[in-house]
Amino acid sequence: MVINANTKVAAILKQNPATLEAIISLSPKFEKLRNPLLRKLLAGRASVLMASKISGCSIEDFFAKLKPLGFDTDNTIPVSSKEKKKAPDFIRSLQPEQIVLLDVRPIIALGKDPLNVILEKIRALDDGQVLKILNTFEPTPLMHLLQKQGFESYAEEMNDNLVETCFYRKSGVIKMEAPTVINTNESLDEMLVTFKDKLQIIDVRNLEMPLPMLTILEAVDSLPAGNALFVYHKRIPVFLLPELVQRQFDYRIKEISDGDVHLLIFKV
Amino acid sequence: MAVKDNNNLVKTTTYRVVLPFYIYAALAFLVATVLLFTSSHVFLQHYFQPTILAITHTMALGWGTMIIVGASHQLLPVLIEGKLYSNILAYLTFVLTASGIPMLVCAFYTFNMQWPAQYGALLINTGIFLYLVNVTLSIAKSGHRNVHALFILIAGLWLFITTLIGGLLVFNFTYNILSKGSLHYLSLHAHIGIVGWFLLLVTGVGSRLIPMFLISKYSNTKILWYIFTLINVGLLLFIFVFLYTSRALLYLVPVSLIAVALCMFGYFCWKSYEQRIRRHVDELMKISLLSVLLMIVPLIFLVSLANTPWVLAYGTAVFFGWLTAIILGMTFKTLPFIVWNKIYHEKAGLGKTPNPNDLFSSRMFNGMALSYLVGFICFTVGMLLTNSLAIKTGALLLLCCALLYNVNIFKILFHKECVK
Repeated sequence: MVINANTKVAAILKQNPATLEAIISLSPKFEKLRNPLLRKLLAGRASVLMASKISGCSIEDFFAKLKPLGFDTDNTIPVSSKEKKKAPDFIRSLQPEQIVLLDVRPIIALGKDPLNVILEKIRALDDGQVLKILNTFEPTPLMHLLQKQGFESYAEEMNDNLVETCFYRKSGVIKMEAPTVINTNESLDEMLVTFKDKLQIIDVRNLEMPLPMLTILEAVDSLPAGNALFVYHKRIPVFLLPELVQRQFDYRIKEISDGDVHLLIFKV
Repeated sequence: MAVKDNNNLVKTTTYRVVLPFYIYAALAFLVATVLLFTSSHVFLQHYFQPTILAITHTMALGWGTMIIVGASHQLLPVLIEGKLYSNILAYLTFVLTASGIPMLVCAFYTFNMQWPAQYGALLINTGIFLYLVNVTLSIAKSGHRNVHALFILIAGLWLFITTLIGGLLVFNFTYNILSKGSLHYLSLHAHIGIVGWFLLLVTGVGSRLIPMFLISKYSNTKILWYIFTLINVGLLLFIFVFLYTSRALLYLVPVSLIAVALCMFGYFCWKSYEQRIRRHVDELMKISLLSVLLMIVPLIFLVSLANTPWVLAYGTAVFFGWLTAIILGMTFKTLPFIVWNKIYHEKAGLGKTPNPNDLFSSRMFNGMALSYLVGFICFTVGMLLTNSLAIKTGALLLLCCALLYNVNIFKILFHKECVK
């Protein structure tokens, strides 16, 4: 397999599982990859370039480790300059009330994916506000993801275990509330794309019957117009379905695995 | 579906285990109403006779017990947040009981208490014993105990005691193993079955399902423990009075204990109804709530157990009244969802799927409920006034109800997949 700076880490791991240990040996920051859930989430989003930025090691270190494991490298893809970006003036002159602080380190320590919480916070940002995320590494994949949604970012390493990353709306990009056109024949995955900016997320897996149903119905009743509700459930909540229909909501359900069901609820 | 949660596996019981019980029960209900219609005249005579025994056992075992046993295979794992101990035991329970019941019923009908009745009783007892084992081990393995699970467990135990006594009564016809004739023990057998099995199970499961279907936040575990204790103590006292004394007045003690339990259950249902989130109560719930009210009717008949029409009215009110009403309602609250899950669990992410409630015809349901209500009232009044025309009309309407029920059940079972 030929790899370059843009190859996703997940692809490398898939090609040869032995690369996991090799990558972890590069930097203790990659220890997170041992957690299967985080591995699935982070490795799928991060390219070799992003991973090298996160860990602080160079792309060459990466390639050197992977070559003995049967990978060919392609160095023709330009690697962006390592020159440190200067903090924008705007960031330096921020007032405390303009900063929304989110420390994702405890979430990651629990082995969970902080993406949903981050997305929720960032969507709630007002113009002129900044979301400051505290993490142990520079969240390059997240920076790329949010850039596509109109957010600029600036990351600064405070010490070895703390990187502060600020996200803010690109000037001129106004919070869009475009009406969503719903095609009711779409699958859950397609629907998720439709609602990607207007998603509320709840997890009822640890609730005892009948609390899941009550929690979901409460969330549905307070769901803002045009938004969708994404539910983590441990089984298909069949008795909920007629209640949703009665409230003129539609649903898509996906059984991810035993005891892991995803449910998307939206207004018809 | 299964999830590792607190080292405990949560798993929905496969539809393969549950559906046979539902189909069997529906057919048994139809058979019972056909028998009721063709031999309605016997309801003007003494209750201890072949046809009435055949109808009672078709109703109690084929209809009530089969559907409740089937549904508890589905419900128990949900209540204990665990899984059913064994599907094989569940299949065995079905095969053994399903083959035993027709043998027993035919034996009663022709009043031949020799081998068909005896083998039938043995098969039923083995089937019910395996059910009890399955329930016990499921609860033991889950480590998640609650009052509802205990209701199911102890009700299962009383069911086994009922079929055991029933078996002894069958053998007693030929071998004289008991000190008195089988007729003497009939009320012991019947009441352990009605109170210990049906009443205990319906209150235990109903106290979980009724608030759930009303989407009510009401919960009161303390009152459920009182109900559980009152019913069991009442039944034990009844057995004691039956076996060791002959004072009829003493029966008032167990009867009043159970009456208090029923009032408490009524209070529990009323509270759930009051604190419901869902303002609109559908027809399915109305008929189930009606059945809670119908619990009082047998109690009134029981107090005046003096003569034959009242004993018959009591039996009819239990099996065709209270029990049938709750099953008619609860079937359409459970079966469409089991079938929906069977067909759509893998496809519900791909597109728009039908509402589980659309799997059956609600018009047919309303027709069924109406012919049931009028039929039941007609039949009971006919019995008390010894009016054979009213009895015949009532029986015909109940037969119509069973037909509509069956058509609707098979409409659900033969539902064709449609994902838009």
